Amino acid sequence: MQNELQQLEARGDRLTHYELLGVSADADGGTIRRAYLEKSKRFHPDAWYRKETGRFGPLLSKWFQRLSSAYQILSDEESRAAYDSDHRTELSQTDRAALDRRELSRAEEERRGRERRERMLRTKGFARIGAARKLYEEGQEYALNGERTQAIFALKAARELDPNRKEIVTKLVELEREQARARANSALASGREREERRRFAEAITAYAAAFQNDPGSFAAAMGAARCAMESSDARAATIWASRAVELNPEDAGARMMLSRLFLSAGMKARARTELGALLSKNPDHKEAKALLRTL
Amino acid sequence: MGELVIGIDLGTTNSVCATVQNGTPTVISNRTGYRITPSVVAMARNGKRLVGALARRQAVTNPERTVVAVKRLMGRRWSAKTTQEAIQRMPYSVVAGPHDDVRISLGEQQYSPPEISAMVLTELRLDAEAFFGAPVTKAVITCPAYFNDSQRNATKDAGRIAGLEVIRIINEPTSAALAYGFGKAQGERQVAVFDLGGGTFDFTVLHMFKGVFEVEATGGDSLLGGEDFDNRIIDFLSEPFRQKHGTDLRKDKMALQRLRDAAEKAKCELSSLKQVEINLPFISASQQAGPLHLQATLSRDQLEQMTADLVKRCMQVCERVLGEAKVHAAQLGDVLLVGGQTRMPKIQEEVRRLFGKEPAKNVNPDEAVALGASIQGAMLLHDEQEMLLLDVTPHSLGIAIAGGFFQKIIAKNTTVPTSAHHVFTTVKDDQTSAKITVLQGESETSADNELLGEFMLTGLRAAPRGAVDIDVIFDISADGIVSVSAIDMQTGTRQSITVTASSGLTEDEIKKAARSNEDWMLGQKEDPEFQDRKNRAEELFREFETLWPRLTRAAHNGLGQEPLQRAQAALSVARLQLAQRESDALAGSLERLERMLQALRGALERSQGGA
Repeated sequence: MQNELQQLEARGDRLTHYELLGVSADADGGTIRRAYLEKSKRFHPDAWYRKETGRFGPLLSKWFQRLSSAYQILSDEESRAAYDSDHRTELSQTDRAALDRRELSRAEEERRGRERRERMLRTKGFARIGAARKLYEEGQEYALNGERTQAIFALKAARELDPNRKEIVTKLVELEREQARARANSALASGREREERRRFAEAITAYAAAFQNDPGSFAAAMGAARCAMESSDARAATIWASRAVELNPEDAGARMMLSRLFLSAGMKARARTELGALLSKNPDHKEAKALLRTL
Repeated sequence: MGELVIGIDLGTTNSVCATVQNGTPTVISNRTGYRITPSVVAMARNGKRLVGALARRQAVTNPERTVVAVKRLMGRRWSAKTTQEAIQRMPYSVVAGPHDDVRISLGEQQYSPPEISAMVLTELRLDAEAFFGAPVTKAVITCPAYFNDSQRNATKDAGRIAGLEVIRIINEPTSAALAYGFGKAQGERQVAVFDLGGGTFDFTVLHMFKGVFEVEATGGDSLLGGEDFDNRIIDFLSEPFRQKHGTDLRKDKMALQRLRDAAEKAKCELSSLKQVEINLPFISASQQAGPLHLQATLSRDQLEQMTADLVKRCMQVCERVLGEAKVHAAQLGDVLLVGGQTRMPKIQEEVRRLFGKEPAKNVNPDEAVALGASIQGAMLLHDEQEMLLLDVTPHSLGIAIAGGFFQKIIAKNTTVPTSAHHVFTTVKDDQTSAKITVLQGESETSADNELLGEFMLTGLRAAPRGAVDIDVIFDISADGIVSVSAIDMQTGTRQSITVTASSGLTEDEIKKAARSNEDWMLGQKEDPEFQDRKNRAEELFREFETLWPRLTRAAHNGLGQEPLQRAQAALSVARLQLAQRESDALAGSLERLERMLQALRGALERSQGGA
């Protein structure tokens, strides 16, 4: 165990989630889960409860958390896809090949699914209802296996065949919402990661994707505004900062950013309005007062 | 066998204690011989502390000084709306405590909910010590999965006051699943636990694989349980009475206690009968009409109608949690029913309907939770078992941010232990302190979430604004308990964090309560005269027990039932006195029992001589 921990430490951040869990990059959901549970048995702090772990204690708990967050990411289709595309270059040769295999077989499966759906969509008359039910059940099955995208395709076809069936629409809406949420979350996470590495252009793309999937995301709007400012794109920054202020009118940080942007663009009146709104909520805001005085 | 460790299901209405003995989880019977101890505490008129069945039995005559369902007040804030609603139904007096917590008045003394729970725990601890014949100091205590941080801390405090080292707080449904999965084949399966106890409802989906129990999602309602079903019956009984006689029985503490007992009894009977009669003679009196009696009939259909919304609330929670776990109800391997209220036929029917299968039959709804806790204790302290529990946090954890918003830092259903960090920057020049408000809940507005505490970061470096970055680390332990620490990122120095207790007891108060509980226990143990009588009593009980088969045979062969019945009555009186530690009264009973034993032995010899 100590050797294993030292090896993990030595590889540190270069270890991919697949390597950490000890699975190949084309492993299915069940395999990933079983690998995680088996590894937990040795890494979870309870396995070492009241035992002398010395300097390895903190390492154990650190690697258990790494393990469980790796599992969390790989167990959702959307976040796994985002992880794959973000970390493709870090994967080993064999894992990249495995990933390609997985994508190929998925593309193949999607193609077959699509053909099947198209065939079924051509059904005529009363048989359409039966075909819709079949597709609905297929969609449920996909959803349970964590294959949300496939499930959505199946349900969309089912809806086309039988538009009056309520449960199809309900399930579809639920899945689409879930998908948007998952996409927004993983885009937000990858935006933050890129921002931290000061890759601002890529970060803006990710934040924008997060915002598109979740138009209520203040964090995404603010992130994009910050990154646009860092890459001196005042126009984009102003747009994003205005969105942020719209979403959370009481946030002093967003208003402050927007007033600075207006000021640097020479729009003094609008800057003054923003600062006024800010100060009406936070009368003691020193920065805002100082900026207002310079105006 | 390693260190002694017990598992305790500290329930709203009943508590159970268990341990793993020779590899088998076993319920520890209490000193009166029952497997279940009511979670009731009372101060008798003579100032004696009564716990369990004894306290429950005298509740009708002493409602103001009998504390029931204290679990509903654990870790709650006095100012919370839910607390005020819960208090309305309590026959005892609940007052505000010094930290916006609640206190219970019993005579001249005031007790916090953990102190009352500690009395129940102490009782169970003494039962366990009697069982092992050795001191017991380590325990795993269960709490509803949906309990938040302050409720968990209050439960832990109760354990400490009772002189127990609480090695782990585990969630009740998870615990029941452990009992279910213990010793089962190593296959992979997914189960759901539907846990409707006296005061709380929990629903949990778990995945089992090779001895690892992974909780996938959990949810519930910490103010929904069997007591709410009872309350509906109480309203059903007292409302027509109020209209007819103009008296609200719910305002009369003694009548309320009788109503409560009657309601619970009717509810239980309606699980097997279609209709019950409720008779409460002399429940009240009016000046014109003299004594008033309450008489009513309640059918199962009526009960189902008046509790339909409660059942519906349970099923809604189930559906939500299934969605979070991304499981289809029909896909589950098994559904376990835990908690007494799941005996209600309507609930079993709804569960069957939702999951499309019969609930698992091999789980005892009253005992599974305590058994699971004892298994977890053994898993931690004796490593013979190749088992592991991966539980999750039931609520999201986060902080209040500008504009009254809530920023999540750790999402709900994250596997514990876990940690996350958040970087704070000073917003003013020379700012030397910052206040961080830690919240638990799912709402986007901070005011709608549960306040866990406010942390002051003090002693920051004096520097221009934005120049000081503080990394605040949030940890959730395997118990589900939150702790916070902070590091100045530029200098690497740890910041001092002061926690302003938002509810519950301070460290000093816990220590003081633990000391006074210890004193009470010593007082119980000191009396050598009582110890002698206790030993003699136990000896007598054993002699009667060995003699009993012969006596029953003799009863059929001419001795008759009557002497046996008298002996039985005398035995149960003595058992009661022993449990109540009524030393002098016990001495009298023992003399009587000895005489009876002699007489019965004589009778047996005579009948054998004659045969």
